[in-house]
Formats: sequence, C-alpha cells, structure tokens
Amino acid sequence: MKLARRFLPALLGVAALAAIPLVVKNSFFLHVCILVLMWTVLGAAWNVLGGFAGQVSFGHAALFAVGAYTTIILYLKGGLAPWWGIPLGGLAAAVVSLPIGFLCFRLRGPYFSLSTLAVAEIVKLVALNWESVTAGSVGYLITSLPPLSILGASVNWEGKVPFYVAAAILTVIALAATGWLRSSRIGAYLVAIRENEDAAEAVGIDTVRTKALTFALSAFLAGMGGGFYAFYFRYVDPDAVAGIGLSMEMVFIAVVGGLGTVGGPLVGAVFLTAVAELVRERFQAGHLIFYGLFMMLVIRYMPEGIWGRVRKIIDGKKGGS
Amino acid sequence: MALLEVEKLTRNFGGVCAVSNLSFSVTEGEILGLIGPNGAGKTTVFNLVTGFVRPTSGAIRLDGRSVVGLRPHAVARRGIARTFQIVKPFPGLSVRENVTLAAFLRHPARPEAEAAAEKVLERVGLSPRVNELASQLTLMDQKRLEMAKALATEPRLVLLDEPMGGLNATEVDVASALVQRIRESGVTVVLVEHVMKAIMRISDRVVVINQGEKIAEGPPAKVVEEPEVLAAYFGKKRVA
Ligand SMILES: Nc1ncnc2c1ncn2[C@@H]1O[C@H](COP(=O)(O)OP(=O)(O)O)[C@@H](O)[C@H]1O
Ligand SMILES: [Mg+2]
Repeated sequence: MKLARRFLPALLGVAALAAIPLVVKNSFFLHVCILVLMWTVLGAAWNVLGGFAGQVSFGHAALFAVGAYTTIILYLKGGLAPWWGIPLGGLAAAVVSLPIGFLCFRLRGPYFSLSTLAVAEIVKLVALNWESVTAGSVGYLITSLPPLSILGASVNWEGKVPFYVAAAILTVIALAATGWLRSSRIGAYLVAIRENEDAAEAVGIDTVRTKALTFALSAFLAGMGGGFYAFYFRYVDPDAVAGIGLSMEMVFIAVVGGLGTVGGPLVGAVFLTAVAELVRERFQAGHLIFYGLFMMLVIRYMPEGIWGRVRKIIDGKKGGS
Repeated sequence: MALLEVEKLTRNFGGVCAVSNLSFSVTEGEILGLIGPNGAGKTTVFNLVTGFVRPTSGAIRLDGRSVVGLRPHAVARRGIARTFQIVKPFPGLSVRENVTLAAFLRHPARPEAEAAAEKVLERVGLSPRVNELASQLTLMDQKRLEMAKALATEPRLVLLDEPMGGLNATEVDVASALVQRIRESGVTVVLVEHVMKAIMRISDRVVVINQGEKIAEGPPAKVVEEPEVLAAYFGKKRVA
C-alpha cells in the first residue's frame, strides 16, 4: 500500500509523458513540451544542491556549458553520436564540478553564491577565448544528425518526437534521482547541512564530502541538460550556453516550483515556460516585465513554491504525517 | 591510561592567546569540571578537541591516538561528542529528526537510527516533544536536545558546554541529574559550567583555567579555596 502510494504518482507521470506525443501532433506545442522538460531537468539539477542542501549556486550555466560543449565537440570532431555524448557531457560536468566545489565550498552562504557566479564567468571567458577547442564566439553548428534506426524504423530528425522522447527520458532520470535522494540518508544529511552546518559536522556528517557528491550529481544532471540543448538546438556558443541568464533561470524554476521537492522543478518549468510563451506572444516589447512580476508574486505569496504549497495542502488534509 | 590527554595545547587568535600551554587529562568514567571566568578559553578548548579549531601547537589524544587535524565529523566518529554553548539545533526539523540525524553515525539504516534516537530521547526526557520543531522548544528542552544529539552519536566522551546556562534552579537540578545519568550509562563527561553549585556537586575533579592557562586542578571543594582561583573569580589581585 505504502509502496503503491509512493510510486503511483511516478507511474502516472511516466504514462502522461508517454501519452503526450501520441495525442499531440502540433509541432509548436511539442516544442514547448520539449522546452518544459529540458528546464525541468535543469531545475532539478539546481534543486538538488540549492533546494536540498541549501547551497545557492548562481553559476550552474558553467556546468550546462561543459555538457553542451562536450556533446557537440565529441560529435563534430570525434563522430560520437549525441546520445552517447549527452551522458558523457554529464560526466564531464561532474568532473569539472569537483575543483569548483573544492574552491567554492570553503565559503558559506552568500559568499558561496558569489563564488559560483565568478566561476561561471570564468568558464564563459574560457569558452570565448580557447578558440582551438571551443571555436570561440563563432561557436559550433550541427548540420546533420547521424542516422539512427529503432526497431527497424529510421528516426526522422526533422520531426520533434525523437527529441521529445530524449527530453522525457532525461526528465525521468532527473526526477528519479531527486526522489531517490530525498528518501536516502544522503538526502537527510543535505537537509541537516542546510539547517546548520556546524551541527551537522558535530554529529558526524562529513559536510564537505556530502556537498561535493551532491554537487557532482547536480552537475551531472545540468551537464546532460546542456548536452541535450546542443543535440536539440544544434548550436553552441558562449552566449547561448554559458550566460548568467541561464544560471538564473535554473534558480527561478526551482524556487517557483518549490525548493527541496521532487515535483517542484517540473511544476516550475511548466509555469515559467507557459508564462514566458504567453507574454511573449501578447506583448512584443517588455514581456520580461510580466515574467519578473510573476516571479515576484510567487516568491511573495508562496515562498515554498507552487508545488511546495500544493503538497502542504495535500499533507494537511491527510492529517499530517 | 587516560581516555583523553591534552598536552601543552596552545591556540592564538591574532594577538590573543585563547588557550596557552594547557595540559590536562580525563579518566574514563569521570565527570571532569572545566571552569574559569568568562573568556577564559573553555569553549575554545572544546573547539580544539572536536576539530572545529586547529591548535597552534600541542597534542590531543583519545586513547593514545592523536585527533589533531581531524575534521569534526571524524572526531565524532572516533567517539567524542559535544554540545554547543549557544545551542545549534536543526531548527526547521522535528525533535525526532534532529536526533535521528545524529544516530545515523552508528546506524546507517533509517529504521535502526530512528529506534536508537527514540531511546536517547527517552533518556533525556524529550519523548513528549518528539514531533515538535526544534525551533519551538523552550530553552530547557533545547539544552536537552543538544545533549540528545550528542548522545545519539554513541560517544565515549561527551563535552558539555554550559548545559545549565540560563536555566532556573529547578531546571538546574534536573540537568545535573541528567549529567550524572549520562556518566552512569558509561559515557565520560567534561562539563563546562558557570553554575558553581552544580559543578561542586557533580564533578569528581575540576580544572580551573584563566586567560587560557591552567591555574588549579583537584577535587572541587579544595580547588575553590585556592587563592589564585578566588582571585580569578572575584577580581582580586593575582597572587604572585
Ligand atoms: N574564533 C575566534 N576568533 C577570535 N577570537 C576568539 C575566537 N574564539 C574565541 N576567541 C577569543 O578567545 C578567548 C576565549 O574565548 P572562549 O573560549 O569563548 O572563552 P569561554 O568559553 O571560557 O568564555 C576570548 O578572548 C575570545 O574572544
Ligand atoms: Mg564559552
């Protein structure tokens, strides 16, 4: 019974994800769904570190960029198909996260946040200037994707469905990882670190190791998100994949959805992508004002996030447990 | 052999010598009182022993093995637990979860950790409060929680930093009894306390420090009669 209750929402979610491309034939709508899923993965990546462990990073674009560049370079220079490049991009980001964590985790609170911001700027500068590897500001463009056939049918890269499927798989991985984390001992340690780092150390929690492992997981997910970006948009340059806007967007999604929740990033991505698309259509100029206004309203009236609030209401009705 | 040996321990903060050439040892099974006026360096000693602060020089050994250079979590794993003078709970979590987090150190699986936490909570008298948020406890209960977290790591030695500070007379009696029960359960105790009545009653031995240096050591009743101690406490001219 308990097991069923825990996994039922997950099963329903997977079923809904699988049903969307069967029902929806409109390619713009599928495109929006793909964006939502990509942002879900990125929000979940950020949430693992920021929401659970309370380590607010303003530099996750750096990890996204490492994933995006790894995937596109492996394909263009090494001929390795993006579906291998995406997990390798995640791994590369996880490896890069180790020295970043080593440097930044010495600092706490706002100082940690600012140091991650600085690291992201450094990564962007490296991407701009290390032209032999990154092609500098010119960037990389994928003109055609490798042929692939699944169950005898060859995949049509001009349609949206294959990308939707890839994004859905990444989303399931990201949310499953978060769900596992929440129920694990490491997840409890992260909450302890968020609540009081000294107290956590005092009761025997290796805070540095726990934060580093979590950062690596967060980086792995963000790197896969970056790899997916390269695969879907087929274009990578420093502005597109290493901008500070990207880092901020990940923060917004996790916060609006609900910090430290499993479903939050999905909810946050749905709302923010929907709001962004709606206001972009109606108001040519100044659409970001409405986007910002929406953010402010949520933070002011639902500091626990949309999904956080919904969960509170559900749990409250169950008599709290 | 002593359980804890502190030898020529020194720690400077800039120009201030918070702990200076301090040596003492703790015998297994005793309650050692560590006393001294405000700013004497008592909390710094605890920070040094538990790895929150690195010594400038000197040695700290548990069971003959050095713990200098270990990070606090590793010291906890070796078997030294502490409480904080200014309590440090996990404020947004329930009392039960606070203690369970500490119990994970010896019980990696959650059900066992929760069961162990439950027992510790009972020992310190917090069982009625298990579902409350740590931030909502009274001061007395916050001090109890502080002890519960330390005990849940199943230490051999526990360092209590003013567990009675700010409590009223009745609460001090309850806390004293609790400290004695901790010792009876086989855990060695070092107690920093300002409440002299409690120190005198429950310590087997006291070490007095002033300005980072040891000025006296011995049975509580004897030590408080020493002129240096009186001078340190009542601001009389130090005896040369
Ligand atoms: N982290 C620190 N940085 C600078 N000075 C410190 C630090 N910790 C303690 N001190 C100084 O060391 C001295 C001893 O402090 P403390 O150990 O807290 O004394 P006690 O606990 O006996 O009241 C004080 O002068 C205090 O200001
Ligand atoms: Mg003190």
